[in-house]
Amino acid sequence: MSFTLKIKDKVEKREIDGDLTIKDLLDDLDLSSETMVSKKNGEIVIEEETIEDGDEIEFIQIIYGG
Amino acid sequence: MGSCTKCGNPNVIIKRKASGQALCKDCFIESIEKKVKQTIKKENFIEKGDKVLVALSGGKDSVVTLEILNSYVKRHIIELCAVTIDEGIAGYREEGVEIAKAHADRLGIPHKVVSFKESFGIDLDEIMKNENHRGSCTYCGVFRRWIINRAAREFGATKIATGHNLDDETQAILMNYLEGNTENLAKIGPKTESNSELFTVKIKPLREIPEKEIGLYALAKGLDIHLAGCPYAQESFRMEISNILNELVKEHPTIKYSTLRGFDKIRPAIRSEMAHDYEFDRCERCGEPSSNRLCRACTFLEELGK
Repeated sequence: MSFTLKIKDKVEKREIDGDLTIKDLLDDLDLSSETMVSKKNGEIVIEEETIEDGDEIEFIQIIYGG
Repeated sequence: MGSCTKCGNPNVIIKRKASGQALCKDCFIESIEKKVKQTIKKENFIEKGDKVLVALSGGKDSVVTLEILNSYVKRHIIELCAVTIDEGIAGYREEGVEIAKAHADRLGIPHKVVSFKESFGIDLDEIMKNENHRGSCTYCGVFRRWIINRAAREFGATKIATGHNLDDETQAILMNYLEGNTENLAKIGPKTESNSELFTVKIKPLREIPEKEIGLYALAKGLDIHLAGCPYAQESFRMEISNILNELVKEHPTIKYSTLRGFDKIRPAIRSEMAHDYEFDRCERCGEPSSNRLCRACTFLEELGK
């Protein structure tokens, strides 16, 4: 199983082993859920959302330091 | 995963740990607009006939401020105008200016872009090339306030609306408390008023909305916002406080609300004990109100040889 991950202009294909949620993925990437909004297939989703085969996941950083 | 606690829609976009609510897109948008309108009413931010100047950077906070205040324009309660400041930060500010212009055009709101360069003869990139500069944020804050205040008078605005959110407010409360800066602590509040008529009253319609929810609202409404970090942003005490608060909020989801609420309760006491009523005269150089011979902006400009 694989999904597409988009962060800003960077797009990559990633493989999934077993169940993976948006929260797991944010933790894996060391990204803070306080600063990110997540989209799955173009729709805003919450962190408990499960990632499935063929999904397009996008993380949009909405809070910047400073 | 649960469904919207208001309408039952299974497509939830937020779970609020503070209230236990789960909301779908439409109910979330409605809840933000309702909350902002409640704040506006509670704090008497707006009177019929007001002309409100929005300090519009193109970022999420100011775009959402403009969007929600525009509903008062539609109901013929207020007029809006907007000012965007071009600090002169190459590779960063241009996109924000374009987004700000597009929103003002879309809503038919009178708008002007004012640059540091035209106002002060120097832009932020040039200032930062000086060896003995005071740090980008110091100049930016002082120069922006100078431009916004002047723009308000030029537009004939009766109020200035800024995009300060719950995170900004709680950070300011904690920072000033921890630093023992009672003078600045006394200045924090929903409205900033001065005894000089040259200063326009400032209002903060988003001060009870968490920063993340403002970003979520902008994306949920499909509003174009400038998503980028200022290249001059650096480690600061504010950032340390912000990190502490965001760590605390994980286990104590109401902490930002309770910080603000508690502060608002003791604010009258702090103000009566600690606030100074400055006598304002005019700055000798620029004519803006100042309690000293020169205002802060002109003090900096003299240091910079401008």
